[in-house]
Amino acid sequence: MAALVLRRFAAMLAVLFGLAVIVFVLQAVIPSDPARAMVGASASKEAVEAKRHELGYDQPLPAQFADYMGRLAQGDLQSSLRTRNEVVEDLRAFAPATFELAFAAMFLAAIGGLGLGLLLAGGGRAGKGIRLLLIGGASIPAFLTGLLLIVVFYSWLGWLPASGRVGDNFVVPDGPTNFLVIDSILNGTPDLTIDALQHLLLPAITLALLPTLAIARTLATSLDAVQKEDYVRTARAKGLKERTVLLKHALRNASGPALTMGGLQVGLMLGSIVVVERIFAWPGIGLYIDQSIAYSDFPAICGATLLLGATYVFLNFLVDLAQAWADPRIRTV
Amino acid sequence: MSTVTPDAPPTTGLTEGALPVEGPGAPAAAKVPGATSKLWRGRRPITPGALSGDTVWHALIPFFVLSFVILVAPVFAPYGSTDVTSAGALHAPTSGAWFGTDEIGRDVFSRVLIGMRVSWFSALGVIFLGTIIGGLIGAVAGAFGGKLDMVLMRITDLFLSLPAPVLAIAVVAAMGPSLRNTLIALSIVWWPWYARIVRGEVRALAARPHTEAARLAGVSRTRLVLKHLLPGAMAPVIVTMSLDVGNLILALAGLSFIGLGAPPPAPELGAMSARGLQYLFGHPWVPIAPAAAVALLALAANLLGDSINRRLDQRTTR
Repeated sequence: MAALVLRRFAAMLAVLFGLAVIVFVLQAVIPSDPARAMVGASASKEAVEAKRHELGYDQPLPAQFADYMGRLAQGDLQSSLRTRNEVVEDLRAFAPATFELAFAAMFLAAIGGLGLGLLLAGGGRAGKGIRLLLIGGASIPAFLTGLLLIVVFYSWLGWLPASGRVGDNFVVPDGPTNFLVIDSILNGTPDLTIDALQHLLLPAITLALLPTLAIARTLATSLDAVQKEDYVRTARAKGLKERTVLLKHALRNASGPALTMGGLQVGLMLGSIVVVERIFAWPGIGLYIDQSIAYSDFPAICGATLLLGATYVFLNFLVDLAQAWADPRIRTV
Repeated sequence: MSTVTPDAPPTTGLTEGALPVEGPGAPAAAKVPGATSKLWRGRRPITPGALSGDTVWHALIPFFVLSFVILVAPVFAPYGSTDVTSAGALHAPTSGAWFGTDEIGRDVFSRVLIGMRVSWFSALGVIFLGTIIGGLIGAVAGAFGGKLDMVLMRITDLFLSLPAPVLAIAVVAAMGPSLRNTLIALSIVWWPWYARIVRGEVRALAARPHTEAARLAGVSRTRLVLKHLLPGAMAPVIVTMSLDVGNLILALAGLSFIGLGAPPPAPELGAMSARGLQYLFGHPWVPIAPAAAVALLALAANLLGDSINRRLDQRTTR
């Protein structure tokens, strides 16, 4: 297991390096001149040249790449063209909201996918109708889900808030985790906890819907396959309860594909987080990207891409390890 | 590549019998006029395990029909995409304007119909581009093997290990938002799936006897790939393509929603919904009609993909 962890870790580092290369290539091919964008459209030619020199854009590409990797290693992502702050500082300010939302959505997707998958396994006659329902659910774009949830739960029923992380009348604590739900519990302010959870619910459901359905579908398929295996028949023949067979014997072996699907879905989720944060005015990286796009703020977009990409790679590293835990056969490969 | 040349012309029945074989001492083509084309129209697949052309085309018929409907539907739209109707701005749906009018009085129904055409054919375009790039890379990697295979597959793995939608956002942002750039960006992040599928199928087929037979017959490598390996990879690729249309419609709509698509006033569904967001409470049809159209398109694509999947994929016989 230790060798496997090391190997996967090395692979993760290689992928992270690849991500950095891709972002560098994108920076090198952008048609707009970042130096021009930084000094402003009315600046003199000399000022633009001076800025180009300062940023190192007049160097040959390999030197630029070495410089870029060096800065990356020190955590320097240049400054945003729009906010004029260091991109790292901006990301630090916006990341907690996004991670809180993403973790909440992943939690919902894992629970929902597991429950629905177990329900669907061996569905029999209901199977076909449920499959159609799953296909239908998987066809709904995140923004439609979000809009409908807002109309129903905010506009009609008035049960839940539809924008932001927290109500206006609350003081937001600064730290220690910057996850509002956790911080408010640590600080012993239950009102704030409830308010933060209420704000979290609709965007998290919106983000979690597609992953939940995908995980449920994959889990049900692999559960059906595992249930045909001999050892499951043996377990049944021993007279074990159906629930014990399913949960204790079949589930662990069937969880591999569902874990892979969960890892993949995180990637799609990180893509639609921009859409969801815009709809719910959620002050996270997605909103930051959305605003940066309007300003062609490429350093900011690169920084956000690096952060989201690295998060995805790291989570999939964990998924790999979880798979190896669930299925010992993988460990020998 | 094998330089073994058989004494007899290849008559294994697996090969076409009319292969223009390369290499020294290759037998003069034992050509039976007409036989080749007959075989190619073929009820019988040339590659064992591959589906015949007819099966594939029959499964795809509903897809072509739907594409045609989506193509011509805007002809029946009551207004053009930028025509301002006489009903005025933000008018509620009526029998004349089914989805009402938007903030400057354009007919939402007409714009949605035209936007659906853009979405559908954009998705198909990305899939074809992705399949061609991925198929080429996968076929080269699978057929040549060795170092080239390793390098190409490591690059493929790299792309598969990164979140495609996030990369797509960065690529469009780098190239500048436009519909063309969005399509290019999505193709750039979409090809790796096809590269891996094609490479896997090609590797598997390369180990089968019919490939060995063709190789012994002295068939050139290009021909080996094009005629004996790639046809066998067709079915899984078409299944994946058909299942991907819905995903791509959603991905495109998402990018369009965050402003990475054609600039206004182009009738793009995602962008229409995003610009209508501020009217959600008073005039919900403005943002919701285009969003629902995206769902409808994706649903149609997913249902068709599912049926094609079950007809063509022999492995999932449930």
